[in-house]
This record gives sequence, structure tokens and C-alpha cells, in this order.
Amino acid sequence: MSVQTPVEPAAAGPTRATAAPVQKAPKDRRAGIGRVVAWATLVLIMLVTLFPFYWMLRTALSNGTQLATDPSSPLPVGFTFGAFERVLGLSTTAEAQAQGGSGAAIDFWLYLLNSLLVATLITAGQVFFGAMAAYAFARLRWPGRDLVFFVFLTALMVPPIFTQLPNFLLMRDLGLLNTYAAIVLPFFFMTPFAVFFLRQFFLGIPREVEEAAVLDGAGTVRRFFRVIAPMASGPLITLAILQYIQAWNEYFWPLLVASDRSVRVLTVGLGVFRSQTPQGTPDWAGLMAATLLAALPIVVLFAVFSRRIVDSIGFSGIK
Amino acid sequence: MSTSAPSHRRPSRLRRGLAAASAALALTVTGCASYGVDQGGDGESGTITYWMWDSAQLPAYQQCATDFHAANPDVDVQIEQFGWDDYWNKLFTGFVAGSAPDVFVDHTSRFGEFAARGLIEPLDDQVAASGLELGQYVPGSAELWVGPDGRRYGLPKDFDTVGMFYNAEMATEAGLTPEQMNALTWNPTDGGTFEKAIAHLTVDTNGVRGDEPGFDKSSIATYGLGLENSGEAFGQTQWSWFTQTTGWSPVDEAWGTTFHYDDPRFQQSITWWTGLVDKGYMPPLSLTQGGSLDQQLQAGKYALITNGSWNIANYSKLKGIELAVAKTPVGPEGRRTMTNSLGDSISTTSQNKGAAWKWVRYLASPACQDVVARGGIVFPAIASTTPAAVETLSKTGLDVTAFTDPIADGETFPYPEILQASEIQSIMGTAMDQVVGGQAPASSLTAVNGRVEAVFQ
Amino acid sequence: MTAGTTSPPRTAPAPARAPRRSGEGLAAVGFIAPALLGFAVFYFWPTLRGLWFSLTEYDFFSRPRFVGLDNYARMASDETFWNAMKVTVQYVAINIVVQTVLAVLIAVLLQRVTRSVFVRSVVVLPFLISNVVVALLFYWMLDAQIGIVNAAITGLGLDAIPFFGEQDWVVPTIALVNVWRHMGYTALLVFAGLMTIPEGLYEAGRVDGASEWRMFWSITLPLLRPVLALVLVITVTGSFQVFDTVAVTTSGGPGDASRVIQYYIFDLAFQRLEFGYAAAVSVVLFAILAVVAFVQLRLTRANESDLA
Repeated sequence: MSVQTPVEPAAAGPTRATAAPVQKAPKDRRAGIGRVVAWATLVLIMLVTLFPFYWMLRTALSNGTQLATDPSSPLPVGFTFGAFERVLGLSTTAEAQAQGGSGAAIDFWLYLLNSLLVATLITAGQVFFGAMAAYAFARLRWPGRDLVFFVFLTALMVPPIFTQLPNFLLMRDLGLLNTYAAIVLPFFFMTPFAVFFLRQFFLGIPREVEEAAVLDGAGTVRRFFRVIAPMASGPLITLAILQYIQAWNEYFWPLLVASDRSVRVLTVGLGVFRSQTPQGTPDWAGLMAATLLAALPIVVLFAVFSRRIVDSIGFSGIK
Repeated sequence: MSTSAPSHRRPSRLRRGLAAASAALALTVTGCASYGVDQGGDGESGTITYWMWDSAQLPAYQQCATDFHAANPDVDVQIEQFGWDDYWNKLFTGFVAGSAPDVFVDHTSRFGEFAARGLIEPLDDQVAASGLELGQYVPGSAELWVGPDGRRYGLPKDFDTVGMFYNAEMATEAGLTPEQMNALTWNPTDGGTFEKAIAHLTVDTNGVRGDEPGFDKSSIATYGLGLENSGEAFGQTQWSWFTQTTGWSPVDEAWGTTFHYDDPRFQQSITWWTGLVDKGYMPPLSLTQGGSLDQQLQAGKYALITNGSWNIANYSKLKGIELAVAKTPVGPEGRRTMTNSLGDSISTTSQNKGAAWKWVRYLASPACQDVVARGGIVFPAIASTTPAAVETLSKTGLDVTAFTDPIADGETFPYPEILQASEIQSIMGTAMDQVVGGQAPASSLTAVNGRVEAVFQ
Repeated sequence: MTAGTTSPPRTAPAPARAPRRSGEGLAAVGFIAPALLGFAVFYFWPTLRGLWFSLTEYDFFSRPRFVGLDNYARMASDETFWNAMKVTVQYVAINIVVQTVLAVLIAVLLQRVTRSVFVRSVVVLPFLISNVVVALLFYWMLDAQIGIVNAAITGLGLDAIPFFGEQDWVVPTIALVNVWRHMGYTALLVFAGLMTIPEGLYEAGRVDGASEWRMFWSITLPLLRPVLALVLVITVTGSFQVFDTVAVTTSGGPGDASRVIQYYIFDLAFQRLEFGYAAAVSVVLFAILAVVAFVQLRLTRANESDLA
């Protein structure tokens, strides 16, 4: 069994095949009750998770100026798609204001594109460089490794207030304010989370796998790209998705360094729905519609990739 | 780059890597080595940036910018709007980095600190040279923009006052006429006809009014008087409209450092106010976190609230309730409503101060303020535009003279201007929360007054 | 590479002392170079500067004035600071305990009961919404007078709960709001760890007649240790830095009941321009977190893997 064979497709089949019957195997009463309790718990958790989303949708489909007239109505109050039209820039200032919006115009599609670009760049850089560093920490032997790792780890604990201002000044001095680079750079080479996360998974991969590759004459770089990376594709994708979401939701940093319209990301652009006149109500309907629309691309992304997480993890069963 | 490097060379490679990293570090050092404020330049043309926080006013100001550009083709104004919280953080980092906007909407509670640190331009020379008539502004608004050093740091763009918004239907049901609502009286002992009115407007879940036998104050359907929060240091919309009618004032003069939270008149007024919670006419502070004041009003939880004129347009859009406005009650020494004014300031770091001044001058001119008046959100600062603003705002169906009459009648007092405002707001915010929340008596504010004054030592 | 290594997990650390291969150190430098660059520029250098500022009086606009340890001395008698510490620790305790238990529960359910992609997507949904919006949404839903949750509570004949308004409720409320947002995410991390546990172990367990409950304690939990260590270090350090939720809801109130340490630091630095003191408070927080993380890593022996 050569290690270099791509693991996922081969492994996916058998694992699932064995997993399925195993789940249905225990037929005794106790397990039956256990399953009922387990499912009930799961359903309860899902309800608690989903209710606020329903409430967001209900609010997004309401007329902002009528919302509080019936605060506990389970259905939208004064049903309208106005909020969504507002977010997509389809309604006039007057229409928006009549429904409790501010009338400020936003360029939804441009901001969406900017967000996609920025989040993709951040994720790609971070996962790639993070994986390399994690490999060096988990698998390579070099002097001072554990010390350097611990120092890296402390970056998790650096209060953002320390880093934000100097980093902002750095971007200004590099002339990068209002560019994509300014948004991306601080997250591009590493985040402590990415390195830490992947290192823990690399630690879990049996050493024999690599030893075999060494016997085949593979160098470090080759071992990393041909053996370790494919085997860890599950964790890598998991990390990529998590970091993509994180990058997607990043607000304060892009607001600081790149508020110019041409590079404005979705979160910053949608801030207009969040706070308006001091002491005034936010445009609740607009805010919820904006949030739902902004979350949609990553929901899709997640739905597409989450199946791959399972399939690609099959290696664990055959080593 | 031999792949079989002997082990003793390893550190040197590492050192080279570190050298590269420290080169990157050096880059960051240069950026942070300079302290003090860049003095900018006097450019007369080009693009200038203008920041504001109120998105509702954006269309009107965009119109001003367009008109301005038509008259001054060599100056291009780019307006950026950020919500209130982000606004100050972003402005602050802009100051630190020397990337602040050329001109920005400023607040009376903030500009003192900016001026003291040399972050905004004194405008006295330009005002004098341009022959700008400061008498054209609503009384009190231009004076607010004079800083602690006696110099002018902004021109007023609008003014605001505080009044009462109430549910007209509930008032009618309670037998209170608009005339009565406009002529309520108040005193710190028994609350006068104002307390009688809110007691009568309060209804428990059985439909019993607050001044009727059998009233259950533990189960309220509608509170007579709404509560937003404890009001921090000045209680602009929360309590200043009654505490100041006793002749009390938190601080003697603009930029003063002697405070009067230890004054018995103030503590007595606040004691009366928090007493409304015990009587069931006003919600406890703990119930006020979450939905905003206007939502509670719209939901019928409150019959009457006090708020600023800047919210007239917002409130008028609330569907499902019929709103009316009234002047705040007359206290022992007459009626008192706080006026405040927003202004436009020029950053010291601006490279285009000439052009920035032209824009500020235009913003403070009848041409732009008339556009703002017709925008129907706020009252512009130039007195002659008030009728236009009243006319536009009256289309909401509200009698907005309740907010403008006190100016003509001399019933206003200015928003207190102090240095160290955020520190004092923070101290007083916590202290007032304790008092209104019932954890401390109003007399505890005597000790707090000492802490407030200690900020200046 | 033999299939079915279902040997007990307690194997000794693999032949870690294998003969050192030449070039590994070199390769290591190459592998960590980009991350090192990012670390040095965007974390290490700002932290060094922060340390320096903590010894100064600095308002951003004039030159920092060296004051030695004055800022640290001031902290000792700063009641707001100690209160902020207390509030933060309460928050972390509630947040972490509830979140970790729920996350492991969800992850195990996802692994043992259903591997449905739909269910997995649902539990991670809250993480797709930004902190700020989640905070605003709950702030509004939990309003004592017009919030839907209290409408339900009063509908059952109970008294409305001032979730954000009562001093005793506010910290647990904020902690649970953040549990809602992060439990699915944390569960996913744990789940990814579960997936590395060989299915064969469970099969063997079943053959031996072990119950699911027993297998959880003797197989799942021990083998999950490295991942759980990761999750705990990440969530605890993250939890200590709670800020957004407080900033958009209570701003530290009522009174100082929810004035967590990060909010206090923000307040000092950006509202009061006392950056020197803010930096000193940050350093203390940083030191506490480093110690906590170090202890956690030691206790969970995160550096070793039972599978190695």
C-alpha cells in the first residue's frame, strides 16, 4: 500500500459503507431509548439555534416603521420585501425612508465582490502558510522548536488593542490605506489559531506514514505536499471554512484601513443599517435583511464543502 | 544552497531569516517615531473629505456638496458617513495617523478635547476676514463652539432642544387636552401637575390608572413616563428638563471644573424622579435595556417620553400610534430646555485648509442651511431658516413649535461644555445607574461629586 | 502501514528520538519563514511597543513620558480594574463551561447519531453571523418589555426577566449569547477531532459489549485530548477578550456589572486617551492569559498525541 495514492476517493467509499450498518446494529431496548434521547437533544439544540434565524427573517420581511406595534407577532409585521430591496439598492431614498431606512445608498454587488476577494485571499494565504508552519512545529526537529511555538501561541493572547493601532500606522506608512492589501496582510501569513489548529492535527497523524515516505526517498517538501497535506485535507478544509467565515465577518479592521467605496467590504458597507441617528432605532428590517443576504454566500459555501469534510476524512479508518 | 548543509550552519540561516524579519520591523518603527500633530497645508483647491454620522441627513448634505461644487469647480467634496460609534473611533485613529478628514461634523461634548490637543483649527481669523455674521445663528448655538482657550473651533450647523412626545390617543382617553399637556407644572416635592398627568396616564394590566384605588404597580401595561437610561452626567433628554428648573446647573460655566452634583436641589429632584419607579409610573432601570425608547413608545409601553428635536422625523414615521408633542413642564424657576448644536470643524492635519474653509463657510451659509431645513430632519442653526424647517417638519403632523418656541422665549440653557468629558460621563454613568437602579440613594452623589472634581487635579 | 492498528491508545511516544535527518532544520526555517514574518510584524512588534507604552504616560498626541511602574501601581488601587477582572472571570467561567459541554455533546451526537450534512450545517449557522449582529439581535429579542423571549415568559404567567438590565443577569446573559454563537463552531472543531479516531476502536468496543456511554469515556474522550486542548486554549483566550457583545449592548452597565476587562481597556485607551495605563492593563491581561494557557497545555499534555 503506497502512501502516495490520493487518499480521499479511495477511502471514502469503504468508510461510509462500514459506518452505515454499524450505526443500525445495536437493536436492544436500552440503545433504542438512548437514540430517542439523543435525537430529542439534537432537535432541541437545532430549535434553539434556528429560532433567532427565523426571527431575523420575520423581521427582515417586516416594515421597519411598524415593527414595535406588534412585537410578539410570529409573522412579519406589515409584510414587505422593502428591506431586501433597500439592501440591494433597488429602492429610492424616499421609499427607503418611508420604511424606516436611512436612504443611504450602498453598492451591494461591489461590496460582495470585495468581500469574496478579500476573504479568499486571507483564507488561501493563512491556510497555506499556516500549514507549512504547523508542519514544522509538529513534525520537523530543530533547535528551539517548542520555545518558538510557545511564543507563537502567545500571539493568541495579545489584546487586539495592542496590534490594531501599530498595524494601522504600518499600513499608512506603506501607502496601503484603502487597498485590498491593507485588509488582507495582517491575516495573510499567519494567525496563531491556524498554526495551532493544524499543528494539533498533524500531531495526530501516525509517524509511520512519513517514515514510509522517507524510505521511498521523499524529501521534507515532498513529504509535506504529497503525504501530510492530503491526509490532513479534512482539517485543512475545516480550517479554511472557519477562517473564511472569520474573514468574511471581520468588521473593525477593514473599517479602519479600507473604508473607501472601491475596496469597501460587505460588513463595512452594511454598517449603515446598524447605527443611524444617535438614540434612534437601527433600521431593524434592513439590518436583518442585510445580515441574511451577507450570510448567504457562506451558507452556500459551507453547504457545498461540509460534505467534503466527511468524505475526505476517511483516511482515519484504514491506516 | 546545498541541501546537505552541515549542522553548524543552521543558526546562520536562522539569523538571516531573523535579519529579514527585523528589516520588516524597521519599517514599522519609522511609522511610529513621530509624535505631535502634522500641521497640514493651506491648499485652496482639490478634493476634500467630509465626514458625518447621521445617515438620514446624508441626502441633504450631498445636495449641498453638489451645489458647492457648481459654485467652486476647483473643489470637490467627498462625503463619507459612518454610524455614531464607529465615527469617533475612526476619527480618532484618523487623528493618530494623520489621515483624518479635512472637515467633519463635530459634537460639543468632544471638540474641547480635540482643541486642547491641537487637532482642530481655530477659525477666528477666517471668520473675521470673511465678515461672517455670527448674529445670524440661533441664540446660543454659535457660542457653543468657543473652546476652553476662548478661540472658535467650529461653525454651528444646526441646533436642538428637548421636548415631550406622547401618545395622543392615550392622552385623550385620560382626558388630557393638548393645551393641558403644554402647560404642565413641576416641582421636586410632589411633582406638580406633571406627576398627576403621568400618574393618570399609567395603566396597570387590569386597566386601573395609576391614581385610582386598586392600582397594581407590580403589573403595568403602560408606564406614564418612559425611561431611556440614567442619563450620565448631564441627563440631556432624561432629567435636565426638570433638574435645571430649580435653578441648579451641573457646572457653573463653560469649561468649568466645579461641579454641583452635591447640591441638595439636584439630589432632591433626582430623588423625586427615582421615586416614580417605586410608584409604578416609570419603569425600573432594569427594564430599559434592549429595545429603544421609540419602540417602547410605539408598542404602547410608554405614554410619554422626553427626547430631542433631532428625533422628530424618526418618531413621526412610527406607524400604529398617534403621536403629539408638547413643551417640557414649567418648574419652580420656569421652563428650561437644553439646547445643543452640532458644528463643522477643520482638522489641523488637512492639506487643503483653504478649500476646507470655503466648504465650512458654505455649510454655515443660508444657501446650504436652507437645503438642510427642507431636508426635514433637523433645525439648521441660521435663525432665518427655522420657518422653513418648521414647515417641512410640520408635514409630519406634529406641532414642532414645542421645540422652537422655548428658543424665542429664552427658556433654554446650553449643553454643558467640559474637558475630560468621557471620563466624567463614565463616572457619572455608573453613579447614576446605581441611584436610578435603587442601589444607592441620591445623597451618594455628594461623594461622586468629589471624584468628578478630582479628575481635574 | 498495516490496516487495523486498533492497539490500545496508550502507546509510548513514537520513536521520536529517531536519528536526526540532515536538512530538517533548514527545511523548518523555510517552512516557518512566512508565518514568522507575519508574527514578527503584526504581533510581536506591536506587543513590544505595548510593553514600552505600559511604562509611560501616553495620550497618542504627545511624546510618551516614562513613568516606570506607576501604571502598574495604579492598578492595585483601581476598583474599576478589579471589578472588571471579577466580571471577566465570571463571564469566562460560565461561557467556557457551558460552551464546552454543549460542543462536545453536539460533536458526539453528530458523530454517533447522525452524520447528516444538514444537521451539521444548522449547528454552525450562528457562527456565520457577525458578533455585533448577534449581540444586537439578542439585545432586542431579550428586551424585558417588547422582546419575544419575555413575551413567551410572561405568556407562561411568569415575571419578565430583565436579561440585560439586572446586575445579576447581565453577565450570564452575555455569556450565553456568545455560547449560542460559538457552540456549533466549537462542536465542529471537536467533531473534526472525533473524525481522526479510528472507527475500528468503536467496533472493537462493541464486540466487547461496551455501551456508548462507556465508549465515550474510555475511547472518545482520551483520544480527543489533543483537539480538546486546542479548543480549550482557543476558547478560553478568546473568551477573556470578550468585547463586541458588551460594546453594542450594555456598554458595561448597569453600573459596572458588565464592564469586562477588554471594554475597560478600550474605554481607557480610546475614550479617555490614557493609552499608557490601558497598555499596562493589557499587559496584565496578557500575562494572565499566558499563564492560563501554559497551565492548560501542561494539564492536557497537548504536545503529545495518543496516536503518535
